[in-house]
Amino acid sequence: MASSLSSMASIMGLKPINKQEMLISKRRINNGFQVFAQQVQEETTSLQQEEEKEATPVKGVTQPRPVEPQVNVESKNMGRAYGGQWLSSTTRHVRIFAAYIDPETCAFDQTQMDKLTLILDPTDEFVWTKETCNMVYSYFQELVDHYEGAPLTEYTLRLIGSDIEHYIRKLLYEGQIQYNMNARVLNFSMGKPRVGFSYNEYQIEDVNQ
Amino acid sequence: MQGNLSAWLVKHALIHRSLGFDYQGIETLQIKPGDWHSIAVILYVYGYNYLRSQCAYDVAPGGLLASVYHLTRIEYGVDQPEEVCIKVFAPRRDPRIPSVFWVWKSVDFQERESYDMLGISYDNHPRLKRILMPESWIGWPLRKDYIAPNFYEIQDAH
Repeated sequence: MASSLSSMASIMGLKPINKQEMLISKRRINNGFQVFAQQVQEETTSLQQEEEKEATPVKGVTQPRPVEPQVNVESKNMGRAYGGQWLSSTTRHVRIFAAYIDPETCAFDQTQMDKLTLILDPTDEFVWTKETCNMVYSYFQELVDHYEGAPLTEYTLRLIGSDIEHYIRKLLYEGQIQYNMNARVLNFSMGKPRVGFSYNEYQIEDVNQ
Repeated sequence: MQGNLSAWLVKHALIHRSLGFDYQGIETLQIKPGDWHSIAVILYVYGYNYLRSQCAYDVAPGGLLASVYHLTRIEYGVDQPEEVCIKVFAPRRDPRIPSVFWVWKSVDFQERESYDMLGISYDNHPRLKRILMPESWIGWPLRKDYIAPNFYEIQDAH
């Protein structure tokens, strides 16, 4: 049904819930040699990047900033000066790439390293609605703002990805998202469903009575 | 009690401290980081041509970092080759030890591993960079005061 076609449909852009979020965080790298591990010394948390921010309409929840669509995007690899490899953090529900991925054609442009792309739950382990997707996107936006100034390495991307995974787990435990029972792989990776013994409405009958 | 090598070093007025013998009867010496390179060359010339292993460990939280070198002599027709174990202690704030890569080549990857895990930087090592952890890792994992960050997949592997 919809869940099995969903991963296909997101490539076509037909699905109403677009689970691919492109975030312009406008991270600029001061000089390209600072962040990659050709050097011996380990970077500290010193600020190595500057970031220009647009004004965010703050209404309780951080709104994701609008992204201008780009045309004629081609898949490009990262330049030789940056190590020639991509920067990403991949876990089961969260994939973050330091690249621009076109939502329609899936062209993977890695030279645009100032953008972070989040692909949310490509295996459809959970049931997502527009509201829950937007909650995750706004949390992603907050995290990126919080990590502003950190060096652009896989380590920080993994930290961001882990924070989003913990947030998804929190949403699951609060009941705002649910497991997708029609998923191809149903292994309840964030905890098996439990009976809520602490719920007040549900009275367990005593066996002896 | 002092072993033979220790007596020889004393005779040649090289500063060291004898740490006794371990359970296999291998004598252990402590050398200061500043003297280590010259003593390494002296030991190589003396005959220890095989660095069996180099390892490092964290002595105590807030204490020193130790770099251990296990040397032996490879030769024919010998039943029990001579062995010695050298420990070099480096302070935690700025742990720098001269590299003995140019004396024994096999120490290349092993010093990189000690650097990766404990942060001991070896001077004059030709390519000192991380070998086990990803290159962008922050922190020294095998130090006793290392706290691993709360990465998702470590916690929630069902």
